[in-house]
Amino acid sequence: MLSWSTVRERWTGFVGSFIALTLGVGVLTASLVVFVSAQPAVPDRLAGAAVVVQSPAGGEDAESYVEYVPWSTERAEALARSLRGLPGVTAAVPDRSFYAQLVHDGRPVGDPEAGDPLGHGWSTAALAPYGLASGAAPSAADEVALDAGYGIAPGSTATVLTATGPREMRVTGTVDGPGIYVSDAAAVALAPGVRVIGLVLAPDAAPDLVAAAVRTAVGDAGTVVAGDARTALEPEAVSRIRWLGTQLITVMVLLAAFATVFVMASTAALNAYQRRRELALLRAIGATPRQTRRLLLGEALVVGVVSAAAGAALGVLAAPWFGDLLVRAELEPAGFAPSPSLLAVGPAVLTGIVVAVVGAWAAARRAARVRPLEALREASVDNRTMTAPRWLFGGLFGLSGLALAVLTPAVDDGSAMTTAIFSALALILAITLFAPVVIPPALRTLTLPLRRSATGEVVRESAGAAVRRTAATAGPVLLTVGFAMLILGMVKTMSPAFGGDDARTLGVDAVVTADGTPGLSDAAVDRLPGTVLSGLSTQVFVAGTARDALGVAPGAVPVAGDAGTLAAGTVVVADPRWQVGDTLRLTFADGVVAPMRVAASLPPEALPTPLLLPKDLVRQHDPSALTLTAYVRGAPPTAVPAGLGVLAQDPLDYSANDDEDQLVWLFVLVMVGMSVGYTSIAVANTLVMATGDRRRDFRVLRLSGATDRQILRMVGTETALVVLFGTAIGALVALPALLGIRSALAGQTGVNVRLIVPWLEVGVVVAVCAALALGAALLATRRTLHRAQPR
Amino acid sequence: MTITTGARQSEAVTLRSVRRTYGTGGAAVTALDGVSVGFRDGSFTAVMGPSGSGKSTLLHCAAGLDRPTEGTVSVGGTELGGLSEHRLTTLRRELIGFVFQEFNLVSALTAAQNVALPLRLAGRRPAPEAIAAALASVGLADRGGHRPSELSGGQQQRVAIARALVTRPAVVFADEPTGALDLRSSRQVLGLLREAVHDHDRTVVMVTHDPLASAYADRVLFLADGHLVDELTGPGTPGDAGFAAEVAARMARLEA
Repeated sequence: MLSWSTVRERWTGFVGSFIALTLGVGVLTASLVVFVSAQPAVPDRLAGAAVVVQSPAGGEDAESYVEYVPWSTERAEALARSLRGLPGVTAAVPDRSFYAQLVHDGRPVGDPEAGDPLGHGWSTAALAPYGLASGAAPSAADEVALDAGYGIAPGSTATVLTATGPREMRVTGTVDGPGIYVSDAAAVALAPGVRVIGLVLAPDAAPDLVAAAVRTAVGDAGTVVAGDARTALEPEAVSRIRWLGTQLITVMVLLAAFATVFVMASTAALNAYQRRRELALLRAIGATPRQTRRLLLGEALVVGVVSAAAGAALGVLAAPWFGDLLVRAELEPAGFAPSPSLLAVGPAVLTGIVVAVVGAWAAARRAARVRPLEALREASVDNRTMTAPRWLFGGLFGLSGLALAVLTPAVDDGSAMTTAIFSALALILAITLFAPVVIPPALRTLTLPLRRSATGEVVRESAGAAVRRTAATAGPVLLTVGFAMLILGMVKTMSPAFGGDDARTLGVDAVVTADGTPGLSDAAVDRLPGTVLSGLSTQVFVAGTARDALGVAPGAVPVAGDAGTLAAGTVVVADPRWQVGDTLRLTFADGVVAPMRVAASLPPEALPTPLLLPKDLVRQHDPSALTLTAYVRGAPPTAVPAGLGVLAQDPLDYSANDDEDQLVWLFVLVMVGMSVGYTSIAVANTLVMATGDRRRDFRVLRLSGATDRQILRMVGTETALVVLFGTAIGALVALPALLGIRSALAGQTGVNVRLIVPWLEVGVVVAVCAALALGAALLATRRTLHRAQPR
Repeated sequence: MTITTGARQSEAVTLRSVRRTYGTGGAAVTALDGVSVGFRDGSFTAVMGPSGSGKSTLLHCAAGLDRPTEGTVSVGGTELGGLSEHRLTTLRRELIGFVFQEFNLVSALTAAQNVALPLRLAGRRPAPEAIAAALASVGLADRGGHRPSELSGGQQQRVAIARALVTRPAVVFADEPTGALDLRSSRQVLGLLREAVHDHDRTVVMVTHDPLASAYADRVLFLADGHLVDELTGPGTPGDAGFAAEVAARMARLEA
């Protein structure tokens, strides 16, 4: 009864918790809905194959994805033949897929992922199954059937881009599903290696029984999957995208949870502090400490249940929008649509309620120890703001921050930057914790000039005297501005410094990457002017483990160092396990195994891939191999002809526009954005709660002749001052750290690094903090003034 | 000096050689310096004294809100010394009612809910009629559904009295109950306290600095520097002007 009445009556004290928790549960619900919905699915184009045989699984690659060692054409055909004879199997189709892209008006259409190619042999259409929408199936070498969605009628010609270059092909038909289909004979040449054989079953065949028979027939030549287990067929590119999406979701959920607990805890503490007289009264008239604690936890529970419900509704509504956003940011595969389930909403709601109660726990414990005597005493001046944990953790963070700062020049180059970052983070946290001690004297010094006007004097004194309010406002601002400046500045400063490595060491004039295609075709590379340094990216298996390899021609190697020793039948390695003279048995993308002699061994950091192979050997074994990056020496970016998905950039621009950097930037913006959101809630909440408490002050001011306008101006100035102050201190802590990071970077890369502070983003952070703080303070003051009207 | 009134066994509250010091070493302040006093069942006692005389500390110690440094306190026959915080709280709930100067009511609750609060905290479910009767006895039968912010200061104090009496406590402690009220409201509140003693046989101990207020009591104790220094017995007529003047004269002498 009491908990509920209190929440209803003193809602201003809970509105901050409510908003924070509603948003937190909203983020959590939307994220969980997306997360639960984003489960691996059987690829559409294999959905009609009830039983699928996969080539043997190799070891995991560098990013822990399982790679499958391809069968050679002969091996796959022999296996398929043997399976066709099994009862219940109507078709056994080796899946031949290769890089292909339609070119329209000289521009490649769409932007297919490298690991999920569009080019297929015609017979694989039966695995979806996709049928002809019009026309006939391709049968000759230069014939093609296209996705009807391209809108190209049978009989016309289409330009199809493959790894070697564009080719004019005659369109024989259109297909009611995605893909570019060539004749099976042509597909064997374009995709000699096979990783999947799909089985189409007779309508009356039981997949489980067939799968068992297939398993016996295949033995250890492959893995047989049927039913839901076929989700293992999901292309790696799709899994990778989803993995990225999951990373972002995890960051968001953790941040939301942390920030919500923080806001809840600080709100609960302030709330309990403001109500200590009421709590003491309860204690005096017979509420035991346990009852007092239960009262406060009960209030938290009420707030928790109400806002968890609101948050869940919000999250479910926002989930499709969020999913769409992730798809557009290429963090979820195209066509992804989240669907809410109890599995997602239930845990989110439960977490919200638990967070509410946990956030109020410490405050409730402290408040329950309030002595009944305090009900009888006039509220004294605020002085017990530094709690023991504040001293303890503030001291710990401060000391470790200083220690790390001192250590930074002493540690080796590699860890100097990490040291600088942790030092700055620790110092920011320390100052935030020490805010009640640090802020009043600093504020008083800073505002000496304000002393001259009467309102200025009041502003100065009240901001300095109400330690708790000032600290609770400036603290989060300081934390956010410092954190935002540090992280944003760090990422912006670091990315050109790192990304520019290759281009700088090679001394090139232009960097050519693919735009709208997963990589550059041979034709695109051949057209480049000047001296071109490039390599074909492929993957080979050494003893069953996938290794990235680069196919290069001597004299045009896109890495520093010497590949001159690379001759036909040899390999240059960058892995200390292999010595010069060793012979490696490599399995290529076409399933062919060949022994290769190690011609040279380099330190691992010298090469971008563990292996360098002769370029023509790579092209011979991997018809879909593409060039990811080509470096041009002796010609400016403007001299590079456009078309075929070519993007030529100045080396500096290239390093700044790295895809990976953009992803990092997105992550950072999400993090900073969410922190700012929560800070603003915390600050606004503090101000609303604290202002309600100042009714008596305002009445006295009014009696002393202050107009409402003067009081509002006073509160506005005070708030602006506190926000400005938090900003200044935040910047003061972050800037030296950034300078430290800059010099650490310079030492590490050996070049002069520019310090980049993204002032725009930092400005937005400060503006949002200031606008919300001012809005909250002024609105609350107006309301309080209105209420304090003499009756 | 030791003042004993009536027989021991009929005392609602008894303090024996109570000392209370705050702080330690050179900064130590003695608020009560060996006070022994008893408050008879069914009596209305006012405790007076200049500020800093220890009258509030006396009340706090007698009510179990503060623990004496030395000496013993018993309420309703139970020794308070050595009781746990929990036991002390439940004892307060059962045996003691409070009326403070201000901030007496929980602002989120209605008048009726405030009155019912001590019973509910004790785990009881009071009948609505009982609460209505308690409110009616302080003249606020029609105000049960109002929140404290909708009541005047005097009405709030009357609700507080109803709440203090609803548990039928052995003793009601009032700490400057009229300190923030106008004269008319003060009279109503004091009248109600006197009524509780004389019509309902409760015991009231009231700390005040207002001679007019103490003139409603049957007995007035005077404190100075932590000692009991004087005692006056009233004529039995509430708010007797002559008695009030006599009390004021004693006070003036103490403050001089």
